[in-house]
Amino acid sequence: MPYFMGIDIGSGTSKGVIVNDGKMVASHLLPSGVNYREAAQKVRQELLAKAGLSPAEMAHTVVTGLGGNNLPFANQQAADLPCCARGVHFIFPDVRTVIDVGEQAARVLRVSPEGRVTNFVISERCAAGSGRFLRIIANVLRIDLKDVGPLSLQSKNPVTFTTGCAVFGESEAVSRVAEGAAKEDILAGVHKALANKIAMMVERVGLEPECAITGGGGRDVGLIKRIEENLGIRLLVPPDPQIITALGAAIMAEEQARLTAAPELKS
Amino acid sequence: MVAVGNDRKAINRLQAMYGFRALVEDRYKRAIEASQSGQPIAWAMINWWAGDAILNTMDVVTVYPENYGVVCAATGSAQTFLARAEAEGYPAHLCGYARNCLGYAASMKAYGGIPPDAPMGGMAAPTLLLGSGGICDARYKWFQAMARYLDAPVWTLEMPHPGVHESLQPGAYEQNISFIVHELREFVAFLERLLGKKMDWDRLDETVTDMLETNRLWHEIMALRRARPCPAHSRDIWTCLGAILTPASDAKAALKLFHSLHDEIKHRVDNGIGAVPNEKYRLVFAELPIWHNLRFFDALAERGWSFVFESWAYHPPKPQDLSKVSDPLERIARHNYQWVTGYYTGAAAAGEWWGYFAYPYLELVRDYRCDGAFLHSVLSCRAGSTHLLHVRDSLMEKLKVPSLLVDGDMVDTKLFNAEDTLRCAETFEETMTHYREMRQKEGREW
Repeated sequence: MPYFMGIDIGSGTSKGVIVNDGKMVASHLLPSGVNYREAAQKVRQELLAKAGLSPAEMAHTVVTGLGGNNLPFANQQAADLPCCARGVHFIFPDVRTVIDVGEQAARVLRVSPEGRVTNFVISERCAAGSGRFLRIIANVLRIDLKDVGPLSLQSKNPVTFTTGCAVFGESEAVSRVAEGAAKEDILAGVHKALANKIAMMVERVGLEPECAITGGGGRDVGLIKRIEENLGIRLLVPPDPQIITALGAAIMAEEQARLTAAPELKS
Repeated sequence: MVAVGNDRKAINRLQAMYGFRALVEDRYKRAIEASQSGQPIAWAMINWWAGDAILNTMDVVTVYPENYGVVCAATGSAQTFLARAEAEGYPAHLCGYARNCLGYAASMKAYGGIPPDAPMGGMAAPTLLLGSGGICDARYKWFQAMARYLDAPVWTLEMPHPGVHESLQPGAYEQNISFIVHELREFVAFLERLLGKKMDWDRLDETVTDMLETNRLWHEIMALRRARPCPAHSRDIWTCLGAILTPASDAKAALKLFHSLHDEIKHRVDNGIGAVPNEKYRLVFAELPIWHNLRFFDALAERGWSFVFESWAYHPPKPQDLSKVSDPLERIARHNYQWVTGYYTGAAAAGEWWGYFAYPYLELVRDYRCDGAFLHSVLSCRAGSTHLLHVRDSLMEKLKVPSLLVDGDMVDTKLFNAEDTLRCAETFEETMTHYREMRQKEGREW
């Protein structure tokens, strides 16, 4: 029975998913580090081990993400946003708007009923809307990234960040720490700044319900709350928001294989 | 990832294009020879043919700092001049062309002549500077600032920019033509005083006649690009631009080249030869080209992207019958005004108020059956960028054609990220396909 693999090498995390006949068989993720090619090999090996499968059982592999270049085991490379759209469509077929908050950038997609990208915007060359901003501030506050969301929810008086820039935001966070502001209020302020930036991007492509959040940002309950407040909607959050693009890549692998490969796959 | 910058042959280049490139190179060489023989030299802004024929007839050899910005960007020499301009205190958000040439002028002053390693031999020191009020506001001050380094007088030709509705008011057309003619007469008088010689009106008349014939031919060439597959890619047209926008300085030679360009493109149309062998997507490009990374378009061509039209302001105004207008200055004026207002009738009919920058793309995308628009938002050019969001919205609302909005700069390499843009382009293919299917379902023309 053929299996299909999707690998998404992001700047912060590498993700992998195996699907078979439209069902997710296994998923895996690990930090990308500084060598994307090594990360890709590792996530593939560990993913295969987790699924109890061999490389030969992979009928088609699609890679995507910033580090998805020229990987020897890949059959195909794909752009990450179409993969993200397919992954979201797989989990939530009614979703028409996707907010994807990754380490490197935030992206907002409009998705067709068939799971295709019909419009998109990326926070290019600016970390203000990205997970990197949160990582920088978490570092300033000396807290673990996983604690950022829950701590932010405890805020009673979020600080106001006057900048949308992550670099200046770091300086501003240091100043607020020096003034004695509470960590939760600083984090809530960062979440508000991120949510403002993301809301502007949503406005650019137009919000159409349902709306989902994916990427590492989808694991941050503080960010989700602020985006929901800003947009006045409830966001749909996949069970594992970080693997959605890899899942979409795996689905694309299955689609592609059925289009081009052996007759038994076309059924 | 598609590698960027490799030497590719994804675009079937036009042979005629090489003649245009040689013409531009020759122009810089002639200016240096002219400076050695004491002949006057002008540095002129692109002026949409307002002052070019007059300069040529007065035997002034003309080079164009904006074109030199293109040359510097394309040869990788611009960053040195940009750094020099920044060291002089000019801000990084100022027009890339302006910064490049201000840096060049400052370097020229420091070296006491053409800076070493200036591409194409450099621009020889000018006798005068000809500014233009056309299209862009930064241009008023740019040449004034540059003159401080060059010890040369500046003359600025004004160009009326009425809005769509204002242009259609009774009497507005003739009033604006009179204004331009007056500007041109003043310019002729200035040159006669500066150079101590009189205008040869018969020669001017002949040059203007050649230019208008060139315009007619140029317009015909552009219309040929509507064919599927498109016979000429934007890369070739951009290469020709240096000569296309300024044909008056070489009117006869330019006309001959246009004939060869026309014949080659016509041959391709007749034989179904495309500039991009596997034309999957037809796109229009706006506005200023990414001169420092034109090979980026080869990477897109490999994916089947064919750029079938580009940057309307670089292109021929719709031809008019001016055979009954005897005054060559008036013919220049009517032609020049047509550049700005030529699309206004269509804009008014379509209820579009942003007539001379945004509206043409509606006509172009429809006429050339485009699948998408590549909108290059130039961070250092307000005139070339502010309308792009409106273009994007209009194309989607009225034609169901999507746009890819890309930040960059025509000269400054620091402001454009080719790899990020290629990643976006890959996604944009899915968007173009989606809207193509939608247009077909809705029974639209393409």
